[in-house]
Amino acid sequence: MTAAAVPPGESRPAQHDARDDSLRAAIERSVQRIFAEQVDAAARAAVERGEWPQRLWRVIADAGFAAAPARAAHGGVEASWADAWPILHGIGFWQLPLPLAETMIGAMLLSMAGAAVPEGPIALVDEAPGSVRLDGVPAAAVLNGQASRVPWARHCDWALVSIGDAGPGSLALVELKQDGRVRVVAGANLAGEPRDEVVFHDARCALRIEYPLPALDAPVRQLAAMARSAAIAGALESLLAQSVRYARERVQFGRPIGSFQAIQHALALLAGETVAARTAALVAAGSAPSIAGAAPGAAFDIAVAKLRCSEAASRGAPIAHQVHGAIGFTREHPLHRATCRLWSWRDEYGSDAHWAERLGGEAIREGSGGFWPAVTRRRFGER
Amino acid sequence: MTEGWLAGHVPGALKGLHVDPCVPDAACENLRAEVREFLADALSGYPAAARARHWSAADPAFSRRLGERGWIGMTWPRRFGGHERSQLERYVVIEELLAAGAPVAAHWTADRQSGPLLIRYARETLAARIVPGIARGETFFCIGLSESDTGSDLASVRTRATKTDGGWLLDGAKLWTTGAHRAHYMIALARTAPRGESRHAGLSQFLVDMKAPGVTVRPIRNQADEHDFNEVGFERVELPDECLVGAEGEGWAQAATELAFERSGPERYLSGMRLMLEMLDAASIGDARARVALGRLVAHYATLRQMSLGVAGLLARGDDPGLAAAIVKDLGATLEQSLPEVAHELFGGAMPAGSTLAEVADYVTRAAPSFSLRGGTREILRGIVARGLGLR
Repeated sequence: MTAAAVPPGESRPAQHDARDDSLRAAIERSVQRIFAEQVDAAARAAVERGEWPQRLWRVIADAGFAAAPARAAHGGVEASWADAWPILHGIGFWQLPLPLAETMIGAMLLSMAGAAVPEGPIALVDEAPGSVRLDGVPAAAVLNGQASRVPWARHCDWALVSIGDAGPGSLALVELKQDGRVRVVAGANLAGEPRDEVVFHDARCALRIEYPLPALDAPVRQLAAMARSAAIAGALESLLAQSVRYARERVQFGRPIGSFQAIQHALALLAGETVAARTAALVAAGSAPSIAGAAPGAAFDIAVAKLRCSEAASRGAPIAHQVHGAIGFTREHPLHRATCRLWSWRDEYGSDAHWAERLGGEAIREGSGGFWPAVTRRRFGER
Repeated sequence: MTEGWLAGHVPGALKGLHVDPCVPDAACENLRAEVREFLADALSGYPAAARARHWSAADPAFSRRLGERGWIGMTWPRRFGGHERSQLERYVVIEELLAAGAPVAAHWTADRQSGPLLIRYARETLAARIVPGIARGETFFCIGLSESDTGSDLASVRTRATKTDGGWLLDGAKLWTTGAHRAHYMIALARTAPRGESRHAGLSQFLVDMKAPGVTVRPIRNQADEHDFNEVGFERVELPDECLVGAEGEGWAQAATELAFERSGPERYLSGMRLMLEMLDAASIGDARARVALGRLVAHYATLRQMSLGVAGLLARGDDPGLAAAIVKDLGATLEQSLPEVAHELFGGAMPAGSTLAEVADYVTRAAPSFSLRGGTREILRGIVARGLGLR
C-alpha cells in the first residue's frame, strides 16, 4: 500500500506520503552510514565517565539530523517524524550516546513558533506533575521549581521547559548556564546516560511558547514518548540481531544452541515483541505533529506506542539475556548497553502503567459502543 | 567503527518480519460506514452472548445477505462471481463483521481460503462451476487437513486417493473438521503416492462433495458445549478426475499457501473481543486497577490491528505474508487468551450470576484454549518464525 489517501475528516494522511518517502530514504542512507561508522564503544564509555562526546555531536549535527524537523529558515528540512524515523529508531539500534531526539523535538517546537533554533543540544523538561512554575511579570518571566531525571541537562546550554500550571502546552526556553539561577545535579539512568536534577531559582526565561500543538495535551512528554518508543523498537531490533547471531555461533552439546527448539521459541517471542514495538512506534511517528502536518489520532497513537513498546522492552530484554548466558551478563559484553537502556527508557516520559491508566480511563468512559470505533479511528471521543 | 556485535547488521536486516503500517483509503472508509450501517440493522437485537459465539455461529441466511451485498469473494475475478475489489476493502469488511460479532461461520472458510485456492489451482471449468456459489453466500466449505494421527505434522496424513480409470477413490478419515456438518464441499489433503525422499512429496488436494456416497460426518462436541468440529469418514468415495485441485503431488505446497491465508486474517485477534467490551461496561472509572489492566489491552488491540492491517497491505502488494502472519496470529492468540485472565483478575468471584459479563466470560474462558491450536499451533508458528530468523 503506497500513496495512502486521506481518510474522511483527516487533514493529512497519517502515514508518510510520496514526498516524505524520498526524504526518509535519504535520511535512512545517511543514518546507516554515519551511525554505523561513528557510534562506537569509546563514545559510549566517555559518556558513562561523565564526558561529553563533542566530536560525535559535531558529526551528527553537521549531518543535519539535529535540526531536521525545523523549518528551512532555521536550518532544517521540515522533516516529518515519519521521515525522521530512521534517526529515532537508529538512536536505539546503535545506542547513540547523545540527546539527539530531545534536541530534534526542541528544534521543531521552537521553529514552529517562529523562533531561531540555538546551536548545540537542547534538554527537555516534560509535563511531570508539580515541577516548574512561572513567576514574575510577562515581560520578565522567571522560572522556579525543580525537575528530576532531565536527560542530558548538564551537557546542554538550553532547555525547553513545560510549565505545568500555565495550561497545556505552555513552554519556556531557558538558558541553563545561569550562575546561581540554575543548578544542575548530575545523575544517571541504568545505562549511564545523564539524567540530571535541574533546580530553577528565578531563572530568566528567554522565550515563551503557548499551546503549539492542538493535537497534543502534553506536547513535550508526548513527542518525547513517541521518540522513546522508536528508540525502544530500535534497541529491541539490535537485541534480536545480536541474539540470533549468538545462537547460531555458540555451540553446546555439539550443535549451535539456535538449533534447540527451546531457544528457537524464545527468539520467536523476542521477534514478535520486536515487530509489535516497531509497528506501534512507526504508527505513532506517522501521526505525531510536525511542521509537515498533524493527524488527529496522535495522542492515541503515542499512548499506544509508549505502552506497547515499554511492555515489549520488559519482555524482550530477559530473553536476550537468557539466550546469551553468562557472557551477556559481563560488563565487557555490549548486551547490557541495549538492555539497560530498555529498562530505563520504558520508565521515561510515562511508563507503561502511566499510559495504560490514561487509555483505560478513556476506554471505560466510552464503554463497549465506543471501543471499536476508537480503535479504527485511532482516537477516543468520536463515533 | 561499529563493534563486531553489530558489524554487518543494519536496521531492517530481518525484513521478512516487518509489517509496515498502512492506511485504508477514503473508499475503504466509506465502505466501512456502509458495513456498519448494514450491521446495525441486520444485527439489531442480536444479544451480546450470541455475539460472543459469532466465531462458531453459522447463519446461512445472514451469509446470503452478505453475498447479495457483494461482501463475499470481494477480491475475486468477476468471471468467478467475485467483485474485483482491493485486499484492503475486503479487510475492512471482515474486520467490521468480526468486531460486531456477526454470525460468520457458515461462509468464512470458503471465502477466506477455499475460494482463493480453487481459483488459483482448480481446473477453470470446475472453479467456474463452484466458486460463484461461494460468492453468493450459498456454498460452504470445510478444510480436510487434520486426522487422528495428523495434527501439527501434516505430512503424515493417511487418507489416500487411488487412481482409477477416469477418477480417484478416496479412503480414510479427517478429524477436527470445523463446519463439516454444514459444508457442501471439503478440500481434502490426501496421499496419492508413497512417501519419497521428501515426506512432503506425494500429497494432493481434492474437492470432495460432502453428499457423495461414502462420506460420513460424525459430530464431536467441544468443551464449550458447541457442535463445531467433526470426524469425517471416506469409504471408497469416487472422485471424478476434475476434482484433483492443482497438480498431483503438489498438495503440500498448496496447503501451505492455504494456511497462509488462514493465518493472515483479523479473526486471529478478534474472536474474543466481546469479553473486552463487556469488561469495559462492567469496570468502574474510579478503579485505577481496572483502568491500567484494560488500558494495556487497548494498546494490544490497537497494535495488533495495525499489524493485521499491515499483513493485508502485504497481500495487497503481492508480498508473501507468511512470516508476518505467523507473528500476528501468535500475538493475537496470546492477547485473546489473556482476556479471561484479566476478567478473572478484575471481576473473579464478583460477576453477578446470569449477567452478560458472566455469560461471556464463561464462554471465552472455555473457548480460549483453542485460540492457540486452530490454524497452526503456537509451537508450529514459533517454528515458522525461527525459520524466518535463519535458525532452522
